Amino acid sequence: MVTIAKPSNHPLAEYVERLQRGEALLRDTPENVIEVVEILKSYGVVIDAYSHNLIYIAENQFLELFPFFKYFNGEVNLSKLMRYMWHDRINFEYAEYCMRTMLWHGGGGLDAYLDTPEFIKRAKAVIQAKVKNNFFINGVNQLFPDFLTEQLRVSVYYSGLGQFWRVMADIFLSLYDRYEQGEIKSVPQIVDHIKAGLVENASKPITYAVKIDKKVYEIIPASENLTFLADTAIPYVEAIFFRGTPFQGTVSYNAQQYQISHDQGKFEYGALYADPLPIGGAGIPPTLLMQDMRHYLPDDLHEIYRRSRRGEDDLRVQICETFQKSMFCVTSAAILGLLPYPLDTQDANQQEQNLVHLEKWVTRLQTSRLLDVNK
Amino acid sequence: MLSVLILLPLIGAVVVCLLPIGTTKLPRRITLAFSSVSLLWTIVLAFNFNPVDINKQFSEFIPWIDALGLNYHLGIDGLSLPLLMLNALLTCIAIYSTDALERPRFYYCLLLLLNAGVTGAFLAQDLLLFFLFYELELIPLYLLIGIWGGQRRGYAATKFLIYTAVSGVFILASFLGLVWLSGSSSFALEGLNTSSLPLATQILLLVGILIGFGIKIPLVPFHTWLPDAHVEASTPVSVLLAGVLLKLGTYGLLRFGLNLLPQAWSYVAPWLATWAVVSVLYGASCAIAQKDMKKMVAYSSIGHMGYILLAAAAATPLSVLGTVMQMISHGLISALLFLLVGVVYKKTGSRNLDVLHGLFNPERGMPVIGSLMVLGVMASAGTPGMVGFISEFIVFRGSFAVFPLQTLLCMIGTGLTAVYFLLLVNRAFFGRLSEQVTNLPRVYWSDRAPAIILALLIVILGIQPVWLTYWTESTTTALSTANVVATVFKR
Repeated sequence: MVTIAKPSNHPLAEYVERLQRGEALLRDTPENVIEVVEILKSYGVVIDAYSHNLIYIAENQFLELFPFFKYFNGEVNLSKLMRYMWHDRINFEYAEYCMRTMLWHGGGGLDAYLDTPEFIKRAKAVIQAKVKNNFFINGVNQLFPDFLTEQLRVSVYYSGLGQFWRVMADIFLSLYDRYEQGEIKSVPQIVDHIKAGLVENASKPITYAVKIDKKVYEIIPASENLTFLADTAIPYVEAIFFRGTPFQGTVSYNAQQYQISHDQGKFEYGALYADPLPIGGAGIPPTLLMQDMRHYLPDDLHEIYRRSRRGEDDLRVQICETFQKSMFCVTSAAILGLLPYPLDTQDANQQEQNLVHLEKWVTRLQTSRLLDVNK
Repeated sequence: MLSVLILLPLIGAVVVCLLPIGTTKLPRRITLAFSSVSLLWTIVLAFNFNPVDINKQFSEFIPWIDALGLNYHLGIDGLSLPLLMLNALLTCIAIYSTDALERPRFYYCLLLLLNAGVTGAFLAQDLLLFFLFYELELIPLYLLIGIWGGQRRGYAATKFLIYTAVSGVFILASFLGLVWLSGSSSFALEGLNTSSLPLATQILLLVGILIGFGIKIPLVPFHTWLPDAHVEASTPVSVLLAGVLLKLGTYGLLRFGLNLLPQAWSYVAPWLATWAVVSVLYGASCAIAQKDMKKMVAYSSIGHMGYILLAAAAATPLSVLGTVMQMISHGLISALLFLLVGVVYKKTGSRNLDVLHGLFNPERGMPVIGSLMVLGVMASAGTPGMVGFISEFIVFRGSFAVFPLQTLLCMIGTGLTAVYFLLLVNRAFFGRLSEQVTNLPRVYWSDRAPAIILALLIVILGIQPVWLTYWTESTTTALSTANVVATVFKR
């Protein structure tokens, strides 16, 4: 237990104080523990599949202008095609939606690296090697020299997000294993587990290399010192949890009517803000994620959902609501993990700095679903 | 054969009444069984019906009270057969759609009596017998609204009773006048000849019939009982009220107005067509202003019944065929819309368009009900491919040659139908689900099934309208020809 040195005057002081005590933004109840652990288990399975596919696309489908079978992970056969057409599959489109959102919002070392001369030089080498025997694409490259470079930037994000999710999938799946072994019994323990996973992998290098004609081309070499936490995790949280992109049901797409802010800093469409009610509608990207998670829900979670008024008729909305709870736990872990000083510091100045850090984050959550998930 | 259709619900009503007190599910099952047998019997009759023969078929005649000239005389033709089928079908649907309620034995007994009354009215070939059945349906309906209705059920039921009783007075007076003044010895419909009566007398009698049945249809300005009755009535009762009972009014106009007084009819026809325009436009305008979904559908009914008056006024073979088509079409579509509004109300507790939004929500809303509602409003607005289009097209095509201006004005009503129903769908079903209704209970397939059956019929008859016109065309052609002959005779 941490002693709170100075009480917060923040409008959401209750949540600031929870974080000051090392607790989570989500209320600690037995049902919340079950919901969060089990939804993160199904999320872990899904992002494991997403990450494999993103890495496959980055390594094998880069600079392919018509990657028809990019979701097949290199295994194309009639049975898989039929299952795909019947929609018996993981919605990898959602992973791409997240990838594009990260690309759009940028941030972190990965984004900065893509504008460096080093990247452009490496990209040119890859492009030359890839298109040298393709008369048409070579012509396109001559006419629009930035086009394929930009395609390669997209591939970098495919790889970056794939590597990020690779780590997170293991964190979430191991959380469930520990829960089953009786080691996880409270929401703060969930946050601790996630925080420990983030810290453990914080300096894991992010690299990206492709093979063309048996020759390996490094697009992000280890020497660039891009790392898991600073260059993928934090930009991911910023882009997906906070900013996101508007989609039907939340706001109108009519940017000409200034219904969407031009200021990306004012984007508040991320997972922590999204309205769960439109989930299930066509054109709502999170629908795809909820559909995917639906297949891997543990039995206990199904039981909780069946007890609701509509049973599992509104399963995807219920999954989304639970998922938002879990995302507040992940956010709690990220906020606590990024504290400038240890939580239990006795230095008044450091405590003050920590408070400023926490209040800054909680201020951003004022318009989020924080109060709704804690009802 | 025909008496079976009256006796079955009457026997059913007695059986339900004799059930032990406290039985909850059995009355519904027994009522459904009796009404299903009635429906099957009507289908058997339809298959044995000769659509080319314009005379009354399956006639049954039993002398009753000679002194009064009243006989138990039943028969069907192409005008009454489709309405009998509609009545049998909607009764089954209304019973199936009824949820658990208090005093179930009495409720189902009244539903069966209502069914018997309406069936008898459609079968009666004697003016007084028709009137008896016409009055018989009044009491059960009054009680059904008055006991199982909404908060203002007493007011609505009493208003309905007063209006319909007044309607009955006008009808009875006209029937008595018709028989006595024409010198007939009985109330038999067959052989009643009014051509010898002076035109002024005929017009006077027709006015009585027009007011009497105009209240029942209802036509503006006799319509005010209908929105109140619909708003307060439970969903199954609204289904029967809009689907079948209003048709007694239009059926009466054709059977006793156009058929018995063709000379006077042709004389007042331009006024009737104008009256139809007023009813159509007034009904549609009022519907646009409504916030209550049920009231909107009720005003829509007033507007759509105006089309039948227009077509009846024109009295061409095509337009009279259009009246029957429109009666069936309106019966199916309005029943569907009332069923759907009923499901919305049951699940959300509201019919207020200021409260309801986003019911199309795929997870927490009612997307299947919303889809059926879209189909229903499209049918009502006359979208091709559905029975609403066919019936309105025949009405307008048949009436245009006689009353071009009135027909064009009525066509504006079709446009207005699209306006108010799109407003309804847009407000209630699109957008974000209202905060007030985010935790709706489940919608089960049993809630959807009756509406799906009606929706299928609306589409099937829209694609294959000949399955409906087949039964009725000869009769309606004869009905219009009588009018033409009378017009020539007058000249």
